[in-house]
Amino acid sequence: MVDRVSALDGHYKKGRFGEAGEAGLMLQEIRDLTLHQVAAWPETLTSTGNKAARVVGKQSAPGPCAAAVGKKGALLRIEPLKWWVFGVEAPKLKPADGTALDISHSRTHLRVSGARASEFLNRNLPLDLRDEAFPVGSVASSSMHHVGVTLWRSDHGYELFMPRGFALSLWEVMFETAQQFGVDIL
Amino acid sequence: MSARRLQSGGLIDRTQTLRFKWDGRDMTGFAGDTLASALLASNERVLARSFKYHRPRGIMSAGVEESGALVTVGTGDRRDPNVRATTQELYGGLVANGQNAWPSVRHDVSAVNGLFGRFFAAGFYYKTFMGIPPFEWGSGTGMWMQYEKIIRRAAGMGEASRAPDPDRYEHGHTHCDVLVVGSGPAGLAAAHTAAEAGLEVLLVEQDCELGGAYLSEPGAVEERQNAIKALNDAGVRIMTRTTAFGLYDYSVAGLLERVTDHLSAPSEHLPRQRFWTVRARYTVVASGALERSIAFGDNDRPGVMTAAAGRTYLNRYGILPGSKVIVATTNDSAYTGAAELCRAGAAVTVLDARRSVDNSVLDLARNAGTGLRLGAAPLRAIGGKGVYSLDLAASDGDGWRADGSENCDLVLVSGGWSPVVNLSSHRGAKPVWDAENACFMPAASDEPLTMAGSAAGIWNTKGCIASGQVAGAHAAKALGKSAPAASAPSAGGWASPIRPVYEVTVPRKKLKSFVDPQHDVTTSDVRLAHREGYVSVEHLKRYTTLGMATDQGKMGNIIGLALMADALGKDIPEVGTTTFRPPYTPISIGALSGSSVGAHFRPLRRTPMHDWNLEQNGTMTEAGLWQRPWYFARAGETITEAYIRETDTVRKTVGLCDVTSLGKIAVQGPDATELLNRVYTNPFAKLAIGKARYGIMLRDDGMVMDDGTTWRLSDTDYFMTTTTAHAAKVMVWLEELLQTRWTDLKVHVTTVSEQWAGCAVAGPKCREVLEACVADKTVMSSEAFPFMGVIETTLKGGMPCRIARISFSGEMAYEAYVPSDYAMPLMEMLWKAAEARDGCLYGTEALGALRIEKGHVTGAELDGRVTIDDAGLGKMASPKKSFIGSAMRSRGDMGREDRPRLVGIFPKNRTQSFNAGSILCAEGKVEGLGEGWITAVTHSPELGHWIGLGFISSGYEPWAGKTVIAADPVRKGNIEVEIVSPHMVDPSGERMHG
Repeated sequence: MVDRVSALDGHYKKGRFGEAGEAGLMLQEIRDLTLHQVAAWPETLTSTGNKAARVVGKQSAPGPCAAAVGKKGALLRIEPLKWWVFGVEAPKLKPADGTALDISHSRTHLRVSGARASEFLNRNLPLDLRDEAFPVGSVASSSMHHVGVTLWRSDHGYELFMPRGFALSLWEVMFETAQQFGVDIL
Repeated sequence: MSARRLQSGGLIDRTQTLRFKWDGRDMTGFAGDTLASALLASNERVLARSFKYHRPRGIMSAGVEESGALVTVGTGDRRDPNVRATTQELYGGLVANGQNAWPSVRHDVSAVNGLFGRFFAAGFYYKTFMGIPPFEWGSGTGMWMQYEKIIRRAAGMGEASRAPDPDRYEHGHTHCDVLVVGSGPAGLAAAHTAAEAGLEVLLVEQDCELGGAYLSEPGAVEERQNAIKALNDAGVRIMTRTTAFGLYDYSVAGLLERVTDHLSAPSEHLPRQRFWTVRARYTVVASGALERSIAFGDNDRPGVMTAAAGRTYLNRYGILPGSKVIVATTNDSAYTGAAELCRAGAAVTVLDARRSVDNSVLDLARNAGTGLRLGAAPLRAIGGKGVYSLDLAASDGDGWRADGSENCDLVLVSGGWSPVVNLSSHRGAKPVWDAENACFMPAASDEPLTMAGSAAGIWNTKGCIASGQVAGAHAAKALGKSAPAASAPSAGGWASPIRPVYEVTVPRKKLKSFVDPQHDVTTSDVRLAHREGYVSVEHLKRYTTLGMATDQGKMGNIIGLALMADALGKDIPEVGTTTFRPPYTPISIGALSGSSVGAHFRPLRRTPMHDWNLEQNGTMTEAGLWQRPWYFARAGETITEAYIRETDTVRKTVGLCDVTSLGKIAVQGPDATELLNRVYTNPFAKLAIGKARYGIMLRDDGMVMDDGTTWRLSDTDYFMTTTTAHAAKVMVWLEELLQTRWTDLKVHVTTVSEQWAGCAVAGPKCREVLEACVADKTVMSSEAFPFMGVIETTLKGGMPCRIARISFSGEMAYEAYVPSDYAMPLMEMLWKAAEARDGCLYGTEALGALRIEKGHVTGAELDGRVTIDDAGLGKMASPKKSFIGSAMRSRGDMGREDRPRLVGIFPKNRTQSFNAGSILCAEGKVEGLGEGWITAVTHSPELGHWIGLGFISSGYEPWAGKTVIAADPVRKGNIEVEIVSPHMVDPSGERMHG
């Protein structure tokens, strides 16, 4: 199998950049994303949600704006009738249950962490990221620099999913913004 | 004026000397100085020249309301005009210059304008240069149009750099429970109370230091430090050098943070300024009050400033601003400062417009040893580049009479105080006139917003603190927290009432008294406006330009309003108040645009083949946000040569084109077929699995919206493609239909434009190319994969792939899609096979040429005015079913025979070319809107001459054999053309079937 080529390949350089001192920020592209959309019908919301939950190793699906993390992957509620299955294949669904769709290549996945991660993201992202408003396990759709993005706060930091075609442009904007915090590109 | 720095006192750091340049001269100041205080300490008097009359101007205030000391800071591409010297922090290496003057502000030849002042009154230019007899009579504007160019050249203040801004700017977002604007006694108290109640508080202060009025109070050093420490202990977030410039719906505030404007050598990683959007749940505005001046003769002379400014320069910056000072006041507030100046060594005389004043106030003056005149006011300042004497007026009935003069080198004026109601005014709360305190008070707000301190008209520190505590408690209560009860102080707080004095004048004396010094608006201008019949304050503003300068009326509005009211014989509230609009203080355009500049003006959307296209020497073009390959020039080729070669190669061998930008939508669910059958004009109910179909969508009004192919992958799974331009529109449209009209349909639509990368493989050798790339070449056989067939297969290397045999070029062709991360390996593999067959890469220019030859429509033709019949595709509208637009397309006008219809266009003389955008006219009748228009033009290698597509009334048949004019009046002129069928190459479509 040929290797996957990321949207940031050739433009992503690891290392320490920007302001000296302790890095306030870590940015890391997580490559080879596995991401599937599972969509239910109104009457199959619970049953199809639970099917999706089981593939990630959970019993039930998360509610709006939330994620559930299982042993095999994570399930993110991204729309009233839709989830993203992260890290594993989608469950097999009958048309009457809902639909599944592979969107693994549609997004570029960037992990943002470090003491000043929220502050950094808020330079370009209007979401309220304070701990009470956006605790670990939160999921939201928003926009950065005119582009729709999806943000999930995991145990590792912020998981940012950017449309692949805009990823390099957003990366350039973010890389410039990141300098002032002192950034480790992992 | 002879100002000097004192040996001690103030909040400046005398151990840190800062060197800077003023008008080319080396100067020094101390850390903690503003540019204004450093210049004042060096006894620089004339810092600017006025807008119209080029009168010498000096420092008039110590804050954002400054109307005198407007200077240019920085050099070269960092030159910033109209900077208020009073708010520019001093830093080592700062370079500042006077503006609006030549050769310098001290000696300005344009000062001659001042001699003709009486001709430059409001409306002068319009009256003088509009309708000049005998050339024009009445209101003619012909002469004006000529003169205006010259007049405009003379107007304006300062000059911005014309070079690109080298600085970076940023936007930021932040959230809090309570936003407190202003860090004076009220703001500090409000922030502390709210934080103690358990709320997250953000305190913003436009100054570099917290404290507001505390900073000018020599006795408040400890109080201020304690208050700040308490805030830090309570966890209040603090932003200094940050102006809350506007309040908006839903407790949104706009802030401007000046990040590096005060630094000699800022970090290269920092932006110059940040534009913040704050989403708060509650807002407390403690923005303070501004001291007003009084209109009297030559009140703009250097050496006339507000009383509060004099106090600030003394107490905050350690400067004795004058040695012989006259303090002219109408209220109690100026007495403390007068006493302090006296103790610091100045000879001080207080002129109080009031005839009687409370003893507690008078004692302040007496104890300090100042002179005192009651019922006295300034009549005219004497001096050119600095005041040396003041003509006095004595109270006489309701008016004034001349009463001698007194020597002085500084005149400090207090005409009362105006609460800064700007932010509440932004929210639509109309300020309310308070006659007792002679000022506009903020109106109560029905939003989560409270005004506190002197912004609510409370004049003493104790009252301000209490008012802040009450505001903080209000915020706490509104947000479900509890705070200690506090009783609200009432507005005002002076021992004796203010005497409202806006202008001092005596009968039969001509004075030049400024109302708005920044725009050189005088009391005579206001009266002239009244004489000319203006009655509304809004008209007054537009006629005289009062309040239009960078201070937006902070200094002059109330005086102007009062004079207008007086002239009209009305009360101030009857004349009205102007509405304050954001921004409170000026904002640079750079901050507004933030990082959306240059290459990031809009985000770039790159296909997964982008870098590969560049490696192959592709030149890119913009298609919306997408970057698409335009053409691939070989050594020495022009764009024309390149696209003609590419077009030719596709027709003869094979070409590859990145078509990733096409919109792609997954349509899934048991009712997917039904949805497609409703949105496309042609039947989709019986499309077989493994087949693609070209479809057209109409809008509700029956006009064509978009076209594309849709591939059936399974019983319930379709892959729809749209045009690049309408990808998002179609996606949103389908969602709207499903969510609002057809909620019963079980269909999910999802954009997969980013998931799949596509390459068109077109030309007679296209099958050979794909055979070389698929893992099993038998899938490519004509039997297994007929025209309009779809396969899902695997490429060499294990890449999954979906391919449809469809053609846009008119040649036999395929579109192959792989998941985006495999786009580069796909192109490597395809190109290896295509190159070996003398193939080429082609871009949008050749793509356009190929489709024009075939008469295939794109966005240039489907511009929203075109019906399916106009586009020559009427056969694709099924008469047997109902679809979106089917009802409206049968309206009478839509079927009119003479509607413009799609046609092909040849130049009559085949060696000529013509332009897209030309108007098609009948021969001998080149006029009006003509008979049609040209949408697209290309050179056709196949036909060997230029061709075009366009629309002409009734279509091509009636025009066959006639000469038609392609009229292009502003470019090419008239070209004779012929009208032909739009299908100019291979009209029977044999080639694409292979």
